[in-house]
Amino acid sequence: MKIFSGTANPLLAGHIASELGTTVSPLEIHVFPDGEKRIRILDAVLDENVCIVQPASPPVDQNYMELFLLVDAAKRSGAKSVTVICPYLGYERQDHIFRSGEAVSLAVIRTMLEAVGVDRLLIFDPHSIKIREIFRIPVVHLSALPLFAQEIRNHSWSISDTVLVTPDMGGIRRIKLLSNALNQMPYCVIKKNRDLETGEVTAEKIEGPIRKRAIIVDDMISSGKTIVTATNLLVKRGAKEVFVFATHPIFSQDAPKVLQNSVVQKIFVTNTVAVPKEKQFPKLTVLSVAEILAGELQK
Amino acid sequence: MSDNFVLLTGTSNPSLACEIGKLLKTQICEPISLFSNGEIRVRIPHNMRRRHVYIIQPTSTPVNDTIMELLLMIDAAKRGSASEVIAVIPYFGYARQDRKEIARVPISASLVASTIEHAGADRILTVDIHSEQQEGFVHCPWDNVYGSYSLIPVLKEKKLANLIVASPDKGGMKRATGYAKLLGAKGLALVYKERDIAMNNASEALGMMGDVKDKNILLVDDMIDTGATLINAAQYLKNNGAKSIRAAVTHGLFSGSSLESINNSIIEEVFVTDTVMQRPEVLKNKKITVVPIAPLLAEAIKRTETGESISNDLIL
Repeated sequence: MKIFSGTANPLLAGHIASELGTTVSPLEIHVFPDGEKRIRILDAVLDENVCIVQPASPPVDQNYMELFLLVDAAKRSGAKSVTVICPYLGYERQDHIFRSGEAVSLAVIRTMLEAVGVDRLLIFDPHSIKIREIFRIPVVHLSALPLFAQEIRNHSWSISDTVLVTPDMGGIRRIKLLSNALNQMPYCVIKKNRDLETGEVTAEKIEGPIRKRAIIVDDMISSGKTIVTATNLLVKRGAKEVFVFATHPIFSQDAPKVLQNSVVQKIFVTNTVAVPKEKQFPKLTVLSVAEILAGELQK
Repeated sequence: MSDNFVLLTGTSNPSLACEIGKLLKTQICEPISLFSNGEIRVRIPHNMRRRHVYIIQPTSTPVNDTIMELLLMIDAAKRGSASEVIAVIPYFGYARQDRKEIARVPISASLVASTIEHAGADRILTVDIHSEQQEGFVHCPWDNVYGSYSLIPVLKEKKLANLIVASPDKGGMKRATGYAKLLGAKGLALVYKERDIAMNNASEALGMMGDVKDKNILLVDDMIDTGATLINAAQYLKNNGAKSIRAAVTHGLFSGSSLESINNSIIEEVFVTDTVMQRPEVLKNKKITVVPIAPLLAEAIKRTETGESISNDLIL
């Protein structure tokens, strides 16, 4: 197997390769003055199983186009199969028509990935578990929950004073799985509303118990507003310490500042999406999914 | 007629779309917005059921984003029950990466064309596509019209005497021949060029054919990007005795420091169209004349609606 990396997360690709006792194969990505990219795979891939690592994080369209071109290059060079590791699948939240006249952007991405010739797709904690069903190619759905469970166990937080929190109803399945992995740790759900016109998020109600220590679990952190809104509500209802576990650190706008300045004690994310230096902050800890991905590739 | 079709524009050239809308006496819908994480959101407020939807979107810089906008708009139109979706792509990004120059590269132009078709486009309309073989990358009909429709009348007004039309590379001879015929030129010239792939975009003029001594030269090409190709060709022609040199180009990308290079070059005038939205500094540049492409595209859209021939009158 040969592993290649786009420009979105070369560190993750390097970690996966070293877990497998190999290195990332070379390629050349040149950007022309007009913004077009030119890709060239520098290793022979004829009859090889090729694996391409490229999360579709911001700049999402750039990263997708680069991925499509990489797959095209591998296919046209005779690769036997192309496995794409796209731990964060950009556009995954646009999975249905919210208001008439909209695109189903995720379906467009699916069509493109299949049309360019991807044979297998590895994704991490998708926003909806139904993503696998819309693809015709095999999609392996991996999760950071085992990593989160281990980290929580390491802290030896007691079940009696800790509660898992999902900041919206959509995360209920995730929170139940984590609760099972943690000896039935109690959980609660925050009822949140999103205004489709303004994007404004409001949270008002909590269903379930509240304990001294609250652990918010989510699939991603984008602007950080959902986390801050949820944290403020939890503290108002009596929580003393709030921790956050989220798989994908998208960190758009001034999310790092917003999170660092919040009353959240610590934020755990994974390296599905690269966090550049300027977006790192003292409260942030990054856990690695490389071992999980390498394990899957070895199967 | 305007009841039967809807015109949409992405963010790459809304002013061109508005001009087309004015000529076709219909409104333009701008359905693009952005999420905070950088993902594009498309929402088309118009009813599109059983209508033809024309999506006007040159895939110019930022090319990867404008391509994605186009794909998402096509999807939204399809899901809104449009009876036919026509991708109007005045400038087609990645068109130059149309073959495998070296091993283990993608054929990016083919990839982009097939993604557009896979997203659901029923028809493609382009202006001066880099190589016409690209129409074969897809199964759906692909109409390619020429910027000369807009450029020729303006060039004729210049009443250039003793005119030689020149191509800055071998591939452009067909275009040069067409311009020469339409402008009643005295003859043709060709500047040879070798492109060093390892040096990426750098090009060098190497040799030429034709008599250019004391002649007024019009260089024609499909696009001007960094300007190196045209400027090198112009200098070469000048060194071989050309009296004056002008350039007519359909797509004016003007990347990098191209404006400065043009200002410092011996090219007297550059005629381009607005297939790509032109920046204020291009519009203000004294050497550059921007000719509207909207009349050509409006006419092509009109004929697509009525079923009249496009090749008879629009392909000059």
